[in-house]
Amino acid sequence: MSETNLKAPPKILILATSSCGYTGADATGQAHLSYPPNTYIIDVPSPCVFPENFYYRCLERGIDGIIVMSCGVECPFEGAYERLAAKLDRVSLGLKKRGIKQGRLKLCSVCTVCTKAFLKEVNEMNDLLIKEQEESS
Amino acid sequence: MTDLEDTQPKPENKKDEPRVGVYVCHCGGNISDVVDVEKVVAEAAQLPGVAVSRTNMFMCSDPGQKMIQEDIQKGLVDNFVVAACTRSLHETTFASLLARNGVNPYLLEQANIREQCSWPHHGQEAATAKAFTLVRAAVAKARRLVPLNPVRVEATNCALVIGGGVAGLRAAGDLSKLGIKVVLVEREKELGGFVRRLDALYPDEEPATALLSRLVEAVRTDSGIVVHTNSEVTGIEGYIGNFTAQVRKNSDSKAGEIRIEAGTIIVATGFRSYQPAKKELGYQKLSRVVTLADFNELLVASAGDSAVLEFEGKPVRSVGFVHCVGSRQIEGVHKPGENGNINRYCSRVCCTATLHTACRLRRRFPDMEIHDFYQDIRTYGRGHEDYYEQASKSDVIFHRYRAESPPRVAKAPAADEYNLLITVEDSLTAGEEIEVGVDILVLAVGMMPADNATIIDNLKLASSSDGFLQEVHPKLRPVEMAVNGVLLAGACQAPKDITESCASASAAAIKAAAILRKGYVELDPYVVKVDLARCEGTGLCVEECPLDGALHMVGEGNERHVEVNPAICNGCGCCVAVCPTRALQVSGWTLDQYEAMVDAIVADPVEVSS
Amino acid sequence: MSTIPSETDALVIGGGIAGLQAALDLAEQGYQVAVVERQPSIGGAMIRLSKVFPTLDCASCITTPKMAAAAHHDNITLLTYTEVDSLTRQNGGFTARLTKKPRFVKEDLCIGCRLCEYACTSSMEDEFQGGYSGLRAIHIPFSNAIPQVALVDENACTLCGQCISSCPTDAIDLEQKPQTLEIQAKTVIVATGWKLTPIDAKPQYRGDSIANVISPLQMERLLAPHGPYGRVLRPADGKVPDSIAYVQCAGSRDATLGVPYCSRVCCMYAIKQAMLLSGAVPLADITIYYMDIRTFGKGFEEFYQNAKAMGIEFIKGKVARITENPDRSVKLRFEHIDGFGQVEERQHDLVVLSLGMLPGDNPGRMLPIETGNDGFVMLPHAKDAPCNTGVEGVFVAGTATGPKDIVDSIVEAGAAATEAAIYMKQTGITSNKSESRVL
Repeated sequence: MSETNLKAPPKILILATSSCGYTGADATGQAHLSYPPNTYIIDVPSPCVFPENFYYRCLERGIDGIIVMSCGVECPFEGAYERLAAKLDRVSLGLKKRGIKQGRLKLCSVCTVCTKAFLKEVNEMNDLLIKEQEESS
Repeated sequence: MTDLEDTQPKPENKKDEPRVGVYVCHCGGNISDVVDVEKVVAEAAQLPGVAVSRTNMFMCSDPGQKMIQEDIQKGLVDNFVVAACTRSLHETTFASLLARNGVNPYLLEQANIREQCSWPHHGQEAATAKAFTLVRAAVAKARRLVPLNPVRVEATNCALVIGGGVAGLRAAGDLSKLGIKVVLVEREKELGGFVRRLDALYPDEEPATALLSRLVEAVRTDSGIVVHTNSEVTGIEGYIGNFTAQVRKNSDSKAGEIRIEAGTIIVATGFRSYQPAKKELGYQKLSRVVTLADFNELLVASAGDSAVLEFEGKPVRSVGFVHCVGSRQIEGVHKPGENGNINRYCSRVCCTATLHTACRLRRRFPDMEIHDFYQDIRTYGRGHEDYYEQASKSDVIFHRYRAESPPRVAKAPAADEYNLLITVEDSLTAGEEIEVGVDILVLAVGMMPADNATIIDNLKLASSSDGFLQEVHPKLRPVEMAVNGVLLAGACQAPKDITESCASASAAAIKAAAILRKGYVELDPYVVKVDLARCEGTGLCVEECPLDGALHMVGEGNERHVEVNPAICNGCGCCVAVCPTRALQVSGWTLDQYEAMVDAIVADPVEVSS
Repeated sequence: MSTIPSETDALVIGGGIAGLQAALDLAEQGYQVAVVERQPSIGGAMIRLSKVFPTLDCASCITTPKMAAAAHHDNITLLTYTEVDSLTRQNGGFTARLTKKPRFVKEDLCIGCRLCEYACTSSMEDEFQGGYSGLRAIHIPFSNAIPQVALVDENACTLCGQCISSCPTDAIDLEQKPQTLEIQAKTVIVATGWKLTPIDAKPQYRGDSIANVISPLQMERLLAPHGPYGRVLRPADGKVPDSIAYVQCAGSRDATLGVPYCSRVCCMYAIKQAMLLSGAVPLADITIYYMDIRTFGKGFEEFYQNAKAMGIEFIKGKVARITENPDRSVKLRFEHIDGFGQVEERQHDLVVLSLGMLPGDNPGRMLPIETGNDGFVMLPHAKDAPCNTGVEGVFVAGTATGPKDIVDSIVEAGAAATEAAIYMKQTGITSNKSESRVL
């Protein structure tokens, strides 16, 4: 890739819930399963805390893709997941309006032992962003 | 150069800006074999706000901790970044180090450069670059940390023990003796749980009634313990120090709901026996196929002195035992149960329980033919191997089957000597298919998780893939649930025998006592805080809040603003996202901190280190 | 930590994981606890392990926080390199006579800087590293030892005096004598742990004479990230092993050894090591010879099935004899149990004898408690009082009552602490001072 495309690898921000996604990422590491290093995981007790403009800001500042790894319906915070899902739907529409590929933001559920799901989400996002980089160059 | 971090709000006066110490761990090679730790340390030293940057072979060890302690004592550092393993392993180690040295323990941020860097990544260059980025993001957050204090909540001096089997009984007795009031709720009419179905117990042959009367007596005569039998927990809510449970009393005389307030909960709901699938090994199709518990009851019911065991009016000449029924199941061979899962796990107690019964059978009926169909004999505990030894020496005939081909059971032809015909590929004779005649086939059924749906749903408890309740960490916190104040005792966690259930019950008791003995509990301070100067009183936050009573509006006109009840707020942050003026923040996890971390991640490392 | 109290509420004998957990639980109740450990560091057997089953957490990561928490706790005093000689009942409590063995280094002065180690001219085998690497005669026991205080091995020291002149704090005292101490305690928890069955227990396995036949603790060190070679090599010649075998029940379930019981952890540690080996030496074939696979704990069976799926070979067979080939590989002669009992011979580069657990000490020598035929502490009511020795005020935790894994030992330690706390409450003893700090 580097010979045809001098761009740095895409930066993927992973907002991972403390009780599920973050622990799932740890489990992936504990199993020594490999995934691309251009992934930066931030521990978030509840991603509901982020207003919609937080996501736009991340993408404007230079994050290429965002994965929100939540607990899904297992969310330990009552009522928070439904609000999160609705919010991300709105952000997704907002991205479309701004001409940004909606795939650059993804909400998924990754449990504490979901190492395969973790890898799948990370790899899919990485492939998508690299493809996009190649198309734009 | 563009230092994006400088675009973030931070203290105006440079002198007040916290000095950050960065401590990077080698983890004995776990990190440093992949990440160039020295390089990370050198680059971190150049970051704005960083006063010292150091490394140690094991940051968590005594010398590692001393290194941090010395910096505190010399007054070099205000806020701390430890770059090591994941937070969950050593956060308390480092936080208590700070606390011991008079530093607010919340002035700590960790960079996870092991589980999320050195372990999953392999190229040294990329891993080192990522480790540095993670450290930089942690420093960005650390510069914005402020001291926090735990939320102090008065705690009800009472433990609710759910389940009155051996574990619940033992836990209740211990707690009361430790000075904690106890309410014990048992679904059945009588205390004692599964052990009530048993007769003589391994490993010392004590009658179950003797053991139970000892445990029940201790609980019944203890004025500090209130027992509700025939009662069921129908709902439970609250938090550490202040749980409230709804209990439905089903007894005929005084049915009704009662409310129990408790500071901690010990879950001791035990297990349920695996119910063989219809026709599995002939169960429910052939009346002579019974479970181990049924068979033990048959033994008790049959007259003690008679030289012959009778079943369905006929003498029993040959008995077969099958191990691992409902345990060690494998995909493709065993059908999933009602929960859609197969039971991959071993039920731990059935091997010893089966051979214990086989030995008792042999003692009473020296001439009976006894067959044992097994995969591996797991008589692991103290004294357990003796039963295997005794059985082998007293002509119990062992047949080893493979999980892929369990024994097949059929009714024997009328002319046959025995009632049932068992066909098994016996690997002890090179997998040759043999036929064995028995009169009764005893299934050593495994243990299944009890139905804990109410408490799991109400308290949001974790269960493992096998359905049993899942402790926080098997070694660090083996009897604690992730929900603060909820503890585990006995077989609701995993299959356990009586000894092991009692040990875990006692272990849970001392943890509960540690929570309740002071009369108050200190909770994490990660709740929402209002900046009154910014609050415009829109009330949007109250509308958004999913929890009753966590937020409410006070004041009129210009004075109108929101107030938080920190004992109810769980820090979910839904309100934070809708506040138009950023007047609300979750303490310890503020939007400013998150944005600074993101900015640190997108900053080009070359620019920062140059 | 340097001052030794003359009285305490609870005396815990043994500073392994069980003793430490019991001490921590009692200290959190506000009781004063003294932990006596005969080794120069606390941490017991667990701190020597690489990773632990079934989670494959690094053992050090789980042990060091508990070690540090005990070392830093206001209510806990650690007495390392100290033996309990006797315990006598006195005034409703116990008087313990202890011998503090000479480290030849003053504990209160040593700063753990290791300058003495660099100056020392004589060396010895490093037992912590399975004997595969060297140590100086004066040394800190191992990298994450607590306390970080040096000691001199009397047998290895040549009295050259280099250490004395190198020490910046004048901590070295080669004339140091054993010190006798007395401490009063209200209750006692016995957590004296276990030791491996000797590697030469079965002469036909020749564990003492074939270099490539090793003990499981030696393999733990070969696998540890900070182990002697930093990777897995066979000890005889440094060759990367292509084929590794485990002989199960090599020190257990064998009446001829006086160990008729199952040691309970060997199946799981062998499978765990096999899994770690398939990561460390991916090309190696790994075979486990067993009688029964006993993976009975939470998550254990799943662990075993994963190992099978990873290609680790399990053979149900009895190993009759082990011999060495001229190329230093090892020949195993075994009888198949599955099948017609046919005898086969196979070659392996490296063989691990899955040795069992023996009692770590005989507590009966210091206090009047009973031990069983197996040498472990007897329990009059094992089922509902698994930590009660039957002797008033004396409780027991961990492998002192029989082989046990780490989880079971830790849980039992909590139970022993409960028993001890109840005993003190019932006999009217209130905790001796300071509240523990919460966090």
